[in-house]
Amino acid sequence: MGIKSVMNTDRLYWLGRYSERVYTTLNLFSRSFDALIEQYGGDHRKFCASLEIPDVYPDKDAFIDNYAFSLDDPNSIVSNLYRAYDNAIELREEIGSETLSFIQMAIYEMNNAKKSDAPLLHFQKITDAILAFWGCVDDQIDDENTRNIIKIGKRIERIDLYARLRKDRTAIKRDVNRLAGRISRTDLIYSQEGLQKLKDLTDAPELDYPEIIHVVESLVEC
Amino acid sequence: MVNLDKLLGSTDAINGLLARYGVKFGIYKNGEFKEQLFPYDPIPRIIEKEEFAYLERGLKQRVTALNLFLKDVYNKKQIIADGVVPADFVYAASGYLAPCEGIVPPKEVYSHVSGIDLVLGKDGVWYILEDNLRVPSGASYPTIARDLERRCSPRTFHETPIEDNRNYPQLLKHVCDYVNTGGISVVLTPGRYNAAYFEHSYLAERMGVPLVSSSDLEVEGDYLYFTGYAGRKERVGAVYRRISDEYMDPLTFNPESLIGIPHIFDVYRKGNIALLNTPGNGIADDKGIYYFVPKMIKYYLDEEPILCNAPTYLPFYEEDRKYVLDRFDTLVIKDVAEAGGYGVVFGSKLSAEQKEQLVGMILAEPRRFIAQEVIDFCDIPILEGDGQVERKADLRAFVLSGEETVVWKSGLTRFSRNPDSFIVNSSQGGGFKDTWVLSQ
Repeated sequence: MGIKSVMNTDRLYWLGRYSERVYTTLNLFSRSFDALIEQYGGDHRKFCASLEIPDVYPDKDAFIDNYAFSLDDPNSIVSNLYRAYDNAIELREEIGSETLSFIQMAIYEMNNAKKSDAPLLHFQKITDAILAFWGCVDDQIDDENTRNIIKIGKRIERIDLYARLRKDRTAIKRDVNRLAGRISRTDLIYSQEGLQKLKDLTDAPELDYPEIIHVVESLVEC
Repeated sequence: MVNLDKLLGSTDAINGLLARYGVKFGIYKNGEFKEQLFPYDPIPRIIEKEEFAYLERGLKQRVTALNLFLKDVYNKKQIIADGVVPADFVYAASGYLAPCEGIVPPKEVYSHVSGIDLVLGKDGVWYILEDNLRVPSGASYPTIARDLERRCSPRTFHETPIEDNRNYPQLLKHVCDYVNTGGISVVLTPGRYNAAYFEHSYLAERMGVPLVSSSDLEVEGDYLYFTGYAGRKERVGAVYRRISDEYMDPLTFNPESLIGIPHIFDVYRKGNIALLNTPGNGIADDKGIYYFVPKMIKYYLDEEPILCNAPTYLPFYEEDRKYVLDRFDTLVIKDVAEAGGYGVVFGSKLSAEQKEQLVGMILAEPRRFIAQEVIDFCDIPILEGDGQVERKADLRAFVLSGEETVVWKSGLTRFSRNPDSFIVNSSQGGGFKDTWVLSQ
């Protein structure tokens, strides 16, 4: 395992987190979009509440435009995609041009979606690009530590999002198990106590979602 | 005759891949950083095998002399003592760095990567326009373009014997390894908001070495270390740095530099690190010193220069000054302190008032300017719309000096997109082409 700089460790971790955030919120948004296109259908407030993001959108049209495409909205999908890109662009020598190219393509596709009357078509391509990115992480990155840091970021983000979305135990437990099996195979500094607590929380009779979010957010020093 | 039909038919595919891989450069406009794709033209500059062999001989000769000059000027100064290069031109040049006095870098290589800019005159003669011995950039663009050209138009490369240029990162790594003083080699970047950041990251990837910023490096004792996550450290033996001399070490050069590494120059002085290129090289690629390079070749190598300089005049010398003022309208005037295509003016294009002002500056500070005959250099075709148009272009050849001096069998061909301009720099809207060297 070669030495990795503090900055690159941080970037890899956050690349994993932001790529997951875009993937999950884009899928969620795409499903909600179908209801929101009805003149009187859909409720964007529920969407914001489920993700625990502030409802700063005056109406659902503003929500559709801004939540997907506004760079001024820090919670928007495009903002999160750019954060993934900002990390990826500084990791070319770690992850390789091929892997990086899928994040770049997702950016281009997001720009196309913004100009399109049918953004879902482009969202599908962004989802495809992110899946290909993760496939490329597995296939093209030789260094196990590098691969695993990205995946740890991805798992932590997914647990965090699933807890916010109040997903069922099976979904959350699956990712906690994946996280637990991988985190020791990185050189990340993490809280073993926190990891145990996370496992305990997912085994408890009642899921304490806010506590799961709190514990998973403070698990890794990045 | 090379058939380019298939390659040109793949233009959109190649441009699509260049976008996919983020082949960009950054520019600052109105204080704001913007990344943009480096405009690519698929019609390559093609250099015949024999012609390249001639260029290769001339470039090796020139870079060998420049390396000898650097060693001499920071040590014995024999060339000054012998009156070949006036002391004024050395000590007044902004590229001369007094802290480099008396230092001999590892393996005595000063300019590991030399970017030599040439143009082909309509008289069929190649002229050297300038030497870049500090941080020459641009080799990554034809390297990746070739990879994509081959992917999009394999038959073109099957049918045409072209030297493969994709070995540039390996050539560079080989040079790093040769001068490495013990430890790992790294590429040092000022960061993402540097114009050539794509190149820094791409070369690091292809060389298989870490891309680092100053915060990743620290001096401890007499050595430089790459410091990693969780406090791990590894000694660094060679730094291919893409940071200008003045920003390298705030304790030796610019004290306000935030992108340098305190004390790195001390480590270098003690011979415990190789810096590629060596600090202080700016003295040898100074626009004023350029005039003396043919004389250096004769002085150090006792050979006639193989490649020509553009005819150049130094207003510093009275005779030349008189010539420059007499022929002002036919010359191109360059401010030696400027780079990147800035500070270059054509006498014929100045208004009477501008001319008077510039003449005044030349008379006041003759050392600051050089004047050159305007080389009527060959236009080369580029694609525009559905057709082809002719544009000015230069060639940046890359010479790598390590165990031996090697000329990379390709080069960066830059062209002006403006029909009325001679300025090919990317920062001023120029594009690039691949450069093919035929192998048969």
